[in-house]
Amino acid sequence: MSSATTNTQDALVRSGIDRSLRHPVMFFLMSGAVWLSFALLLGVIASVKTSSPGFLGHCGFLTYGRVYPAHINALVYGWGMQTAFAVILWLMARLTRRECTMTGAILTAGHVWNLTIGLGLIGILSGFGTGMPWMEFPPFAWPVLLASYCVILVGPFIQFRVRPEERGNIAQWYLLAAVIWFPWIYLTANVLLHCVPGHPVMGAAINAWFRSALIFLFFTPVALGTASYLAPKVTGNPLYSDSLAKLGFWSLAIIGPWAGMQKLTGAPIPYFLPYLGGAATALFFIPALAAAVNTIRTIWPSREVLTVSPTLRFTLAGMVALVLLGVAAVILNLPDSMLPATQFSFSGYGFEILALYGFFGFVMFGATYFIVPRVTCREWISRRLIRWHFLFSLYGILTIIFVTLIGGYQQGLGQESWSLPWMKAVDAGVSIAVVITFAWCLILFSNIFFFLHLTLMWLRLGRRGSQPTLLACSPGNLGPAASGPATAH
Amino acid sequence: MSLRTFVLCLTASFGIAWLAIIVIPFFEMRELAPVPYPEAKSTSAGIFFPKRTGRVMTGARVYAENGCYQCHTQLVRPTYAGNDLYRPDWGGLKMDPDRGDTRRETNAWDFNGEKFAQIGTTRMGPDLSNLGRRLETSDGSSADPAAWLYAHLYNPRNNPKLWNSTCPPHPFLFEKREVKEYRAPDALAVNVGENMEIVPGPDAKALVSYLISLKKDHPVPAALNFTPAEK
Repeated sequence: MSSATTNTQDALVRSGIDRSLRHPVMFFLMSGAVWLSFALLLGVIASVKTSSPGFLGHCGFLTYGRVYPAHINALVYGWGMQTAFAVILWLMARLTRRECTMTGAILTAGHVWNLTIGLGLIGILSGFGTGMPWMEFPPFAWPVLLASYCVILVGPFIQFRVRPEERGNIAQWYLLAAVIWFPWIYLTANVLLHCVPGHPVMGAAINAWFRSALIFLFFTPVALGTASYLAPKVTGNPLYSDSLAKLGFWSLAIIGPWAGMQKLTGAPIPYFLPYLGGAATALFFIPALAAAVNTIRTIWPSREVLTVSPTLRFTLAGMVALVLLGVAAVILNLPDSMLPATQFSFSGYGFEILALYGFFGFVMFGATYFIVPRVTCREWISRRLIRWHFLFSLYGILTIIFVTLIGGYQQGLGQESWSLPWMKAVDAGVSIAVVITFAWCLILFSNIFFFLHLTLMWLRLGRRGSQPTLLACSPGNLGPAASGPATAH
Repeated sequence: MSLRTFVLCLTASFGIAWLAIIVIPFFEMRELAPVPYPEAKSTSAGIFFPKRTGRVMTGARVYAENGCYQCHTQLVRPTYAGNDLYRPDWGGLKMDPDRGDTRRETNAWDFNGEKFAQIGTTRMGPDLSNLGRRLETSDGSSADPAAWLYAHLYNPRNNPKLWNSTCPPHPFLFEKREVKEYRAPDALAVNVGENMEIVPGPDAKALVSYLISLKKDHPVPAALNFTPAEK
């Protein structure tokens, strides 16, 4: 009797939290999906231009040198950051069991964030970009983005009274760390590059560090925190090992900040910087492997749930991408053999896309399939749309990884063969570009399904029912919860 | 673990790296000690300070705004980091008519006058560190490097030698206008109809001036000269 009462109270607390967060979470997920489609469209255009340079080339705002930065900035700040906001807010409220009382402020800041991204992209496309990779928004944008970030995440963190608990909640550690690191990284890079005059080559080095730190110290911890929450929740198994989780966390905290400057190997900066950067990036395989093994071992005893739960399937794919990312981090940064050949080839782009879309993106999609039914009180409409989203994304990202990492090495060998004419190396790059275009088309196609599906859910046109939408019929006896709010937790 | 210890540990793990690879190198690099020429050996006295002429600041801005750095690098790596130096005209000239082999790696003074060094990320096109010098000496462009660059920026594939170039055209940097009394001296050699001509706009002029200023022909002092000593 008393246990039934506790369960009911528990469910009430959870549904109160979900209700308090419905608008911010759906706002950030929807905006993220819109920017993702836009970024992918720009990615396809940019990618076509690398093989047929005359394509849409006659107006200034569609030239390759502006479309490409617009693509990557929309992907990072429009989609990546906003999806992370939605997932962090929801997870933190659930983990601390507190309702959010700041939705008005969060939504206002969210609108400011979106407006700034829009204006920044117009700025890039009309020729006011700063020319620093991943920081191309005109200089007005960064203080506004930083201020909105503080309202969106730092405020709620104080309200939730987030505390790193000793046992069992590594998710909280990762999310807390990401929320602290991002403003530090963003502020450092922007102040040193925009406000304080410095040496131009050191500026380029800080920019390379910024890109790496954004991946390793923001997108990685957010995705790892989410995965270490979702895997136990969906399967009902406890996290495989607490000490492995701590190893993963602290090794990331210690190794991550040193990485990045290997991109400037050979440039006139102090010699130790590129070496440290290369070593740290290669060592990234320790936190990557620790966290991935931990999550996969958590999922494995209940692997039959993979056939039905979209959340678990996306999370597992993200973890496999993380292992690949760790391996690529080692292979691409061997100083004598691989680094010279891959430093200026497509493999750097492939590494970034693998981290952003293959690892971070897949975990975030998994979380979206888990969270949205809970905050909207509706079920996903079609299992076919989910399955297509998964498959086309998977094939797309696998193609990109394969051609950029292996083809990028071929392209780099062409660049290094100094006795051959330069155009040989260019030709190797062009054939890679054609395949990348094809892969981006697959990913764009898959995200049209995702965008449509999410829009219907946002409009509350989802299925009303007590059964979650699973990927296979007859769920049978499948752990405590595969998806959907109908099953309690 | 309390929140305070946790935040302290995070601050320490991040802060040490932040100080060691960002803040301290940044402020050290701001005040690089000038490198003097040894008076006895060299004709150029004083300190090493490669002068660049042309509209470097404005041109670098146009270079950045139009994303040239997406495909072109400006870094000639030392031989331990890559084979750039072996190419005959990337880091100087293999056979300079007056001084012999002038090839050298990029040094910290090569970006004088720029706010941000456009090292670049991907080499879809060739490295541009020595573009100005290369154009002055190679066939086809040596007569008038600026005219060659204007034609290249307008549409790279108009040049029969570069029919398969993947460089995008930049017609939006140029103006199409009616020919007044006589054709403008810098009008492009493209046929755009009776009484019309294509002339470079202000951005194209600044960009070309910047690109021509990319040279590596200043003799370097011994302290910066890493060429193996062989006689």
